[in-house]
Amino acid sequence: MSTRTALLPKKYHDAVVRWRETFLPDFDYLLDNWDKHFPKEPRFELCAYREMGMCSEVECGDLQGKPKPTRAADLPEEAAHHLYGAIRAQASTEFGSIQQHRLTLSRAQDEQEQIWILRMMAEELRHGYQMLHLLSEDEDWAALSGHTTSDAIEDILSMTTGSHLLSAFNIDFDSFVDNVTFCALIDRVGKYQLAMQKVSAYQPMAESMPQMLREEAFHLAAGVVPMRRWATEAAKGEVYVSMEMMQKAVNKWLPRGLEMFGDERGGGTNVRLGLKPMKNAEAQQQYYDEVVKLVKDVDMRYVRARLPELSMPEAKDVVERVLAGDVVRGIKPEDLIRVPAMDFFRRRGVPAFRMMGVDGESFDELDDYLRHLRGQLPESYLAGVDFRDFVHALRQVDGGELTVADAVSQMPQLRRVAGSCPCSKSVRWVVDDPAHVSGGLSQPPSP
Amino acid sequence: MTSDATATEVKIRPMDELDIGDIVAIDEKIGGEYRPDVWESRATYYLRRDPDGSLVAEVDGEVVGFMLGEVRSGEFGLDETTGWIDQLGVDPEARGQAIGRRLAAGMMEHFRGRGATSVRTLVDEERDDVRSFFDSLGFEPSTLRPFVKKL
Repeated sequence: MSTRTALLPKKYHDAVVRWRETFLPDFDYLLDNWDKHFPKEPRFELCAYREMGMCSEVECGDLQGKPKPTRAADLPEEAAHHLYGAIRAQASTEFGSIQQHRLTLSRAQDEQEQIWILRMMAEELRHGYQMLHLLSEDEDWAALSGHTTSDAIEDILSMTTGSHLLSAFNIDFDSFVDNVTFCALIDRVGKYQLAMQKVSAYQPMAESMPQMLREEAFHLAAGVVPMRRWATEAAKGEVYVSMEMMQKAVNKWLPRGLEMFGDERGGGTNVRLGLKPMKNAEAQQQYYDEVVKLVKDVDMRYVRARLPELSMPEAKDVVERVLAGDVVRGIKPEDLIRVPAMDFFRRRGVPAFRMMGVDGESFDELDDYLRHLRGQLPESYLAGVDFRDFVHALRQVDGGELTVADAVSQMPQLRRVAGSCPCSKSVRWVVDDPAHVSGGLSQPPSP
Repeated sequence: MTSDATATEVKIRPMDELDIGDIVAIDEKIGGEYRPDVWESRATYYLRRDPDGSLVAEVDGEVVGFMLGEVRSGEFGLDETTGWIDQLGVDPEARGQAIGRRLAAGMMEHFRGRGATSVRTLVDEERDDVRSFFDSLGFEPSTLRPFVKKL
């Protein structure tokens, strides 16, 4: 298979470059140090890549076997609307992730870890660019959506943390541990989405995925490898990143990752329309199983560093016994990382606003549950807006003032925000959703 | 690219970052040395360069072999696009199932897809097992010879 490159029309390309100058100011540093850290590797290029020679027939769903449309107008209307939402959501996550990473990038203690994240950010920018290219290249999207291409691109580039489509991209990072854990857990969800979109019934979307997947493979490593290294250092008594810090970061991000798959009961429409090969629950379970493996590997790294005289099978036995609750050769359960239960700290999907603990235990009393959460989540996150908004909604659900469905709708989601977009010369103000607002623009919740 | 085969179900798939632990374990079984740092660096390098170009073999969900490589051109006077097999290992307990051969087949299919017209590797002449493996795949000694100078 071969790949061809394409650029956005100049005004949109320039808009992305201006966006990059605001939100990725270290981009030039990346290019200046490219050869030092990535010798002989192709230099980063801001462009769209389209894989040639891919399957040209619909691979799943009601239209399986039929030629894949190359224009949005040739898609069934329902599929086109689903896909338009998916492209916007994908673009939003890519730009949103850069906005999250940038504020704590400078806090990295290790130069290599930092440059890996910086490269990842540049590639996420390219992924966002790829999605904008899909919207601009096919003129049918404007007619189908009722928004001009210019409006659609401006809308996406105007989003800031707090307004992105998926709630994981509306949560601020508190330290570089978040940068790394986000790569390990949230980029992992991205990998699933990209892999599922690779069989999209819309040929341009399918052709966009292979290069994004190749780049995403490194992004996951940029999360997993530092976690493994930190576990080793923690085992040797180093004072920087502890296993407890990583545990709390996993507790913070895994629930958001699980929710990115959508409601556990859903996904059938995307399968029927040929846009994805798997329903939400199946994809979510596979993702969870991967996280279990990831965490087990990190725990093994810890045990082997702490007890280097052990063989691999002996270390595996120690991990299993400690996770089961034993203290083995001085290693306590709290020294290792555990994967939270799937229902823990959830605010979307089937378990939304259930008071479920990190080990799957159920809480009857709100105050007991909040005390439990305080012990399981990073301190800096507890002091933030996102946690405050969640607790506020949970209190209302517990008090019968709000249904779960209404509480779910209050959680961070798409809203158009005011701001000057790099691709227009004017400030654009839009009406906010009159429901509760958060993300830096919020009013304190009513008592 | 994945493939399933024969009496023992051997699945060949691209390596990912979650395979690092298994690769470390196989390497330790072969060489007796625990080297997680080495494989973390190597795996990350290959995932950056060409994540589809390095493969692992799975039997019953367990990784039992790996082969890491990539397509390169323009080095050592070789202008032709060349696939390189750089690292390989098969769990000693899983030998006899043609795992190395299946991995090599997968790598060569990928190299062809990337436009490679030949595939190369470097073999330590003191490793008869590795040499006979590549002989069995049809590799031949090359006129391009490795030279070394200690600094």
